[in-house]
Amino acid sequence: MSEVQRKKYTEQEKNKIFDGEFMPHIDSMYNFGYRLTFDEDDAKDLVQDTYLKAYRFINSFEQGTNAKAWLFRILKNSFINDYRKKSKQPSKVDYQEVETYYNSDDVDYSMTSDLRVDSVKDMLGDEISNALNSLAVDFRTVIILCDLEGFTYEEMAKILDIPIGTVRSRLHRARNLLKEKLRSYAQNMGYNTDEEG
Amino acid sequence: MENSLEGSGERKLQCSDVSKCFQLLESILDGNNVPDSQEILKSKLAKCQPCFEHFHLEQAIKEVLRNKCTKHEVPSELVANIRQKIEEIK
Repeated sequence: MSEVQRKKYTEQEKNKIFDGEFMPHIDSMYNFGYRLTFDEDDAKDLVQDTYLKAYRFINSFEQGTNAKAWLFRILKNSFINDYRKKSKQPSKVDYQEVETYYNSDDVDYSMTSDLRVDSVKDMLGDEISNALNSLAVDFRTVIILCDLEGFTYEEMAKILDIPIGTVRSRLHRARNLLKEKLRSYAQNMGYNTDEEG
Repeated sequence: MENSLEGSGERKLQCSDVSKCFQLLESILDGNNVPDSQEILKSKLAKCQPCFEHFHLEQAIKEVLRNKCTKHEVPSELVANIRQKIEEIK
């Protein structure tokens, strides 16, 4: 969130921005909050907190710019700064997995998956959801922002405060991990994941 | 595999630059502003089997994610709570 106060909005302008540009994104915001915390109450708190901050700092929002990206950035920061700190199980995620990936400089694009398009299309919502939820939070986040919410790499870079190159490589790694999960679901479902299958 | 019937025999089976091609295909699929994206896409998918398979798999995963992971209903009281809190800080 920019600390620069660009201009002062009147009460009427504030309400107009809040209702017209912020509130329409509440579905996406709640979904993001829920996918980060896996808990309805925590997601509600996170979203409510985000909207209160958005209102408080509304003067640093430039009317007509990307409100959704601005709100997502606040929610992401609230999650990291507030939620994770007070959570009793902070970051109980596969950091080993994250570390191993982050410590390698290059992304392996040659890694191919024998997962089939047909088996992906036949998967149940729970299987897709569980596969996504099983990813470490940083990987899960880039998939949510890109695939669920349709943000561009440039927008994601701003939301996450990371360079575009990192967005690209993190997303590719996240997708490889997701494909691994989906592949094991596909195998359990009895789909043949071999090339000839 | 669907869409693979036409011209699949003409596609090369090895991609000469997997890293560059897959990155480019993912950028296009993800809606980033890639110059001449439609022409690039058409050409790569017509000529290269690994690119064709990668693109269609990523596209299918993206679609199921979008269709099946965005349906959390917002609790009805959330909007009212937010509005009430805003009134309190005004």
